[in-house]
Amino acid sequence: MIKKLPVLIFFVFFAFLAKSLFQNRIEIPSPLIGKPIPTFSLPRLNAEGMISDKDIIGKISLINIWATWCAGCLQEHQLLVKLSQGSNAISIIGINWKDQADLAMRWLEEGGNPYVDIAVDYEGKTAIDFGVYGAPETFLIDNDGFIRYKHIGALTVDVWAQEFLPIINELKQ
Amino acid sequence: MRRYISIFLLIYVFGIGTSVAMDGLTPEQEVLYQAIVQEVRCLVCQNQSIAESNAELAKDLRIEISSQIQEGKTEQEIKDFLLNRYGDFVLYQPSFNKKTFFLWLSPLILLFLIYGWYRKINLN
Repeated sequence: MIKKLPVLIFFVFFAFLAKSLFQNRIEIPSPLIGKPIPTFSLPRLNAEGMISDKDIIGKISLINIWATWCAGCLQEHQLLVKLSQGSNAISIIGINWKDQADLAMRWLEEGGNPYVDIAVDYEGKTAIDFGVYGAPETFLIDNDGFIRYKHIGALTVDVWAQEFLPIINELKQ
Repeated sequence: MRRYISIFLLIYVFGIGTSVAMDGLTPEQEVLYQAIVQEVRCLVCQNQSIAESNAELAKDLRIEISSQIQEGKTEQEIKDFLLNRYGDFVLYQPSFNKKTFFLWLSPLILLFLIYGWYRKINLN
């Protein structure tokens, strides 16, 4: 038995490494979950004045970090439009990240505008405060302005139903 | 052959991290800056530090770090700033805490296991 120990250790190690091979290494848990949204004050894309974190507090909402150069943003765009309409509509705040205003405006004209308000972060400072590293990223914010969930990558119907809706239903109770 | 290896090693050692410099830092600040950027993982590319990466996010983080150094922030303050936003994974040398203690101690545990096994074998 004792002579076989190294073989055993090898297989335990092998299993451990093999498992991490199939893990989704792109997704890194955010330390911001459970914390209030970072303070920010950014200009609006399509209107005058500034938008700040205080404007977001008060209802359940999404913060969606997007850009016209981002392929995942195109993928999820129609879903966002759908989520922003109807009786169960959710308020979505966009942060247009490292982009160009004219491209962003054209994108919204062509694909529809799911956002109640859009902040512009072309320097990327607010995105750093949000721990953003890959657009699109979508944050679920509760009534009190706390981050409840974060999804990295394109939002899908499945992700919405399995990850977001349960938390939203819980928040509404 | 040995010559080629040493040339390769020379390029390797001196080629890393010297490619990005920041304006406006004093020599001491530059040392601190280089030390930090080489330890911060570029989360977009994941197998590069932000010193090596040309990703937009890496550029933004380099600017952020250099401006924090100019403001007089310490290495620990800057690292905490990054950890609070991106989590343990952002540093190549993760801090020792509840989530990472196994990572840090596993070489020791493994060493003890192997030592125990080695002694058993020799006694038999």
